[in-house]
Amino acid sequence: MSYLKEVLGSRELLANLTLREIRGQYKRTVFGQLWSLVNPLAAMVVYTFVFSFIFRLKPAAGDPSGLDIFALWLLCGLLPWTFFVNTVTSGMGSLLANAGLVQKVSFSRIVLPLSSVGSIGYNWLIEMGVLLVALLLVGGSPLPWIPLTLLTMILLAIFATGLALMLSVANVHFRDTQYFLGIIMQIWMYMTPIIYPITLVQTQSDRVGGLFGTPITLLNVYETNPLERFVSVFRQLLYDNRWPDLNDLVTCALWAGVSLALGLWVFRKNEKGLAEAL
Amino acid sequence: MTEIAVVVDNISKRFRLYKERNQTLKSAVMRGRRSVHEDFWALKDVSFDVPVGSTFGLIGANGSGKSTLLKCLAKIYYPEKGSITSYGRVAALLEVGSGFHPELSGRENIFLNGSILGMSKREISRKFDEIVAFSGVESFIDQPVKNYSSGMYVRLGFSVAIHVDPDILVVDEVLAVGDAEFQEKCRQKFRDFRAAGRTVILVSHAMEMVQDMCDHAAWLNKGELVAFGGAEKTIAAYLGSLPGHEAAS
Repeated sequence: MSYLKEVLGSRELLANLTLREIRGQYKRTVFGQLWSLVNPLAAMVVYTFVFSFIFRLKPAAGDPSGLDIFALWLLCGLLPWTFFVNTVTSGMGSLLANAGLVQKVSFSRIVLPLSSVGSIGYNWLIEMGVLLVALLLVGGSPLPWIPLTLLTMILLAIFATGLALMLSVANVHFRDTQYFLGIIMQIWMYMTPIIYPITLVQTQSDRVGGLFGTPITLLNVYETNPLERFVSVFRQLLYDNRWPDLNDLVTCALWAGVSLALGLWVFRKNEKGLAEAL
Repeated sequence: MTEIAVVVDNISKRFRLYKERNQTLKSAVMRGRRSVHEDFWALKDVSFDVPVGSTFGLIGANGSGKSTLLKCLAKIYYPEKGSITSYGRVAALLEVGSGFHPELSGRENIFLNGSILGMSKREISRKFDEIVAFSGVESFIDQPVKNYSSGMYVRLGFSVAIHVDPDILVVDEVLAVGDAEFQEKCRQKFRDFRAAGRTVILVSHAMEMVQDMCDHAAWLNKGELVAFGGAEKTIAAYLGSLPGHEAAS
């Protein structure tokens, strides 16, 4: 509890550091904040071209929204994913990037990874806003689902924060962590139904049947991936426009809670040694 | 009996000297354990009290543990043994311009740096004009700090730090910034500080300055406390211990 008080006491510092990231990021660029939209748009164009146009991938139309546009279906999963990757990556590097500060000033160290979450979350919020407008323009009705979407966004942010806290400490002790993470994230992305629908996995899973003579199927294993749940909830809310499966939502909340608890525990345990270890 | 601002109670600080530091996973796995190291005690059983309202100097040769002690006082390092108890708000000035973002303006950086040093937004707004005036960079305050000369940069950083207004100020050798005029301003600020009954702990190699500013001093040698008490006496003992030709430096 006293830790919570300490973190709350540093909220102005947290806000200022987050603002530093946001303001400093696109200084001296002509397009400024627009750049934050370019990356997901470029990814959208490439994936849509490759997977929709060439591979002829066809996810089911939104039910009940009736939307059937690959690019938007993709973005509903891709935007949360990019937020997740960017948050974990930059949160992990935040202690190293601010080594000078950690070694010279005493302050609540946790604000460093948290400010990464904040600044990337800010970009994500803009991206999701643009996606919302796009969904409205093509006839979707995501508006009533905004509160639940926000809740899921917060859960994903918490999940990412927990991982970022653990990895930021690990990265101080083992600089390999950052390179390792790059590979893990690449694999993780393809293990999550972002650019292809989960129905394809289901088909394969049904064909293979129980693994090694057990009743556990490929799909069961596949669904242990927490990001699979998050992506599925985001799609249900934004693309399908319906109540998300309560099970999925609760699983997301559990993952978020476990990740944050572990992250905080690891971070607190190592916080005092950071200045020396860097 | 005078009041005590900081109690340093038997602190020892250990550093590990790594012969083969396992900062990569590979070496950790290959060697089976994490590292091969030797312990080095940068501070050994150091105890002293700093009275309220005093200006306290830490002196000693290079590598005597002064900076380590300062970082312990600033709560950046945590001692392995013993404890440090401070009565009042502590601010440490180990570096100027901590966290300055080169692309942001002087104004934005004052707020950023101020909050890193533990000031609230209200407090910074209240002292803003004072900070800018002290730094002497008024006409450039809305320019990005990367366009500042190194002197301006340091003056602005110092100016924010000096306005934190702590009960106990911990200072590393950062006084040697800016031109003669700015240095005089800093000295004046420290005198005001003392006049206001606040405590200053500083590390310096410039003995004249320590003599001029401090009333108490502690002399460290190789991590051990050699002498502590009135500044003049301690400095004299320290200078006396040096071989003749080094006394001047």
